[in-house]
Amino acid sequence: MHKKHSFAAASLLLSLAVTAGADAGPVLDRVQSAKKLVVATDAAYPPQSFLDKDGTMKGFDVDVGAEIGKRLGVSVDYVTPAWDVIVAGHWGGRWDVSIGSMTPTAQRATVLDFPAVYYYIAQILIVHSDNTTIRKPEDASGKRIGIGQGESYEGYLAGNLVLDAAGTPPFTYRIKDAQVQAFESNAMARDNLKLGDGKRIDAAMTSMPTAIEAQKAGAPFRVVEPPVYFEPLALAIDKGDPEFAAALKQAVADMRTDGTLKALSLKWFGADVTSPPAE
Amino acid sequence: MTRLIRRKFVWLGLIVILVLIGAQVTGGLRPTAAFACVMVGGLVLLINGLVLRYCGFGIAVAMVYADLFLLLLGFMRTFDLQYDVMLRYLPDLMGFKLQNGFLQGAALTIFVCIVSIMAATLIAFLAALGRLSRQPIAYGVATFYVSFFRGTPLMLQVMLIFLGLPQIGLVLAAIPSGILALSLCYGAYMAEIFRAGIIAVPRGQTEGAMALGLSKTQALWLVVMPQAVRLVIPPTGSQFIAMLKDSALVSILGAWELLYIARAYGRAEFRNMEMLIAAAAIYWAMSIVMEYGQSRLEKNLQRGALKPM
Repeated sequence: MHKKHSFAAASLLLSLAVTAGADAGPVLDRVQSAKKLVVATDAAYPPQSFLDKDGTMKGFDVDVGAEIGKRLGVSVDYVTPAWDVIVAGHWGGRWDVSIGSMTPTAQRATVLDFPAVYYYIAQILIVHSDNTTIRKPEDASGKRIGIGQGESYEGYLAGNLVLDAAGTPPFTYRIKDAQVQAFESNAMARDNLKLGDGKRIDAAMTSMPTAIEAQKAGAPFRVVEPPVYFEPLALAIDKGDPEFAAALKQAVADMRTDGTLKALSLKWFGADVTSPPAE
Repeated sequence: MTRLIRRKFVWLGLIVILVLIGAQVTGGLRPTAAFACVMVGGLVLLINGLVLRYCGFGIAVAMVYADLFLLLLGFMRTFDLQYDVMLRYLPDLMGFKLQNGFLQGAALTIFVCIVSIMAATLIAFLAALGRLSRQPIAYGVATFYVSFFRGTPLMLQVMLIFLGLPQIGLVLAAIPSGILALSLCYGAYMAEIFRAGIIAVPRGQTEGAMALGLSKTQALWLVVMPQAVRLVIPPTGSQFIAMLKDSALVSILGAWELLYIARAYGRAEFRNMEMLIAAAAIYWAMSIVMEYGQSRLEKNLQRGALKPM
C-alpha cells in the first residue's frame, strides 16, 4: 500500500520535471501583446535609479527605460528585485529587461545576454574631506579602503580585475597593497568613511556619479582624481531571444544617433558618459 | 550578599554608560563643563536609585523603563541625526501610500506577517503531528521538512522558491513567493515548539481521558491540545516577532516592505542612519503590540491553571 503511494508521488514529481525547462518563449511577443515592458532596476542607486520624494522611481536608468519603452511603442513598469536575483538569470518571465548599470562580464554572460552598452562609468577613489595626504590614487597604497562586497573594486585592489566586456578601456593598477575592507554594500562603505578621516577606513571606492550625488547631499567626501578605470554598462536580458535583443540594440543605437542618450546623460550625470573616455 | 554585589555591578555599568554618553554629548564643551554635566547626571541617577528603592514594583518597573529609554535616546543623540528627514518619510515607511496598487512599507510587512503566521501555524501543526507519528511516510516527510527548512538559510529558501520554482513551470509573484518561504521556514521552527508542547503534557492525561471513554483523537483535541497551547504560547510569540523582522527578506524579490523603503529613501537622501532608525522604531512598536497580545493571551489561557511565580 505504502509502496503504491510513493510510486505515485515519484511519478508525479517526474512528470513535473519533464514539463519543466524550455520556458524561454519569445519575450518580444510577450512585450508587444501585453503592450508593456517590465524593467528590473534598483530603487536605491542614485542618480541612476532611486525612489523620489513623491514615491516614484527617477534617475538615468529609469529614463533610459522609459525612452526604450516609447521606441518599442509600449508602456513601462519597473520592478526592483535584489541585484543577486537579477544576475542569477532564469527570470521566468517576471520582468523583461534589466536596466540597472550592469557590467557585461563573461561570467554573467553565461546566464544573461547583453544587447547593448549604454554608458561608461568612471570608478574612483574618495576620501573624507578632512584628508590631506591622499592626493592621487597612488597615495592610497597600503591604506584601508572600503568597498561593497562583490564589487569589481575588489578585483581592482587585488590586482586581478577581469574586465572582459567588449569595448572596455585599458587600465593600470595604481593602488598597491591596499587593506581592503568589504562591507555589506557600497553605501555602508561610504557611511563608514563619513565617520571621519581614517576613523575606520582611509578611503572608499565608488563610481563618479554616486560620489557627486553624495557630495550634493552634503556628504563630506573629496574625489581623488583621476578615475582609476572605466567600465561599460549594458542592458541585460534573459538568454534566448535574439529578436528582443535586436530590438533593444536598435532602440539604444537610435537614442545615440538622435542625441537622446547624450541629453539624458547630461541631465543626470552633468557630463556625456555615453561613449568610452578619450585617452 | 550576592544580590548586593549584583546591584553594585548594575549601577557601575549604568554609570559607565552615562559617562560615555556624557563624553559624547558634551564633546564640544570645556572639560570642566563636561565634568559638571557628568556629575549632575550621576546625581540624577543616584536620586533615581533611592526613589526606586521606596516605591512599589509597578512604579519601579515603569521608572526603570523610562531610565533605559532616556539612555537610548541619549545614545541616539550622538548620531547627529536629521529628524526632519525621518519625519518627512514617516508616511511612506508606515505604508500610507500604494505601490502599483498594492500595499507598501509597514502595511505590507504586517500583511505578509499575518498571512505567513496563519500558514506557518497550520504547517507547523501538521509537521508536529507528523514528527510524533509512527507512520513512516508521515514521520519521514515531516522530519525531512523540518531538517531542511531549519538547516538552510532563509535567504536561500526565498531565492529557491522565487527562481527555482519557475524551472518546473510554476511562476509565483514576489509577495506570494516571500510568504511561502516565510511560512515554510517558520513552520519548521514552530513544528518543534508544537511537538515539545504536545509531549510536555503528561502521558497520564491521555491515559486518563481514554479510561474515561474518549477516543484517541478526542483525547488529543479535548485534553492534550488545550494544555499544550498554553505551553507553546511564549516561544511561538518569539517566533512571530522574529518573523516580523525576517519578513524584510521579501524585499530581495522586489516587494517594497518597511526595511526596503527605509533603505531606498535612505540612499536617495544619503541619510541611511536616519531611515534605518525610523524603521527600527516602527518594527519595535509593532513587536510591542505583539508582545502585548501575547501576554493577554497567556493570561487568558492561564485561568484555572497554576499561577506562574
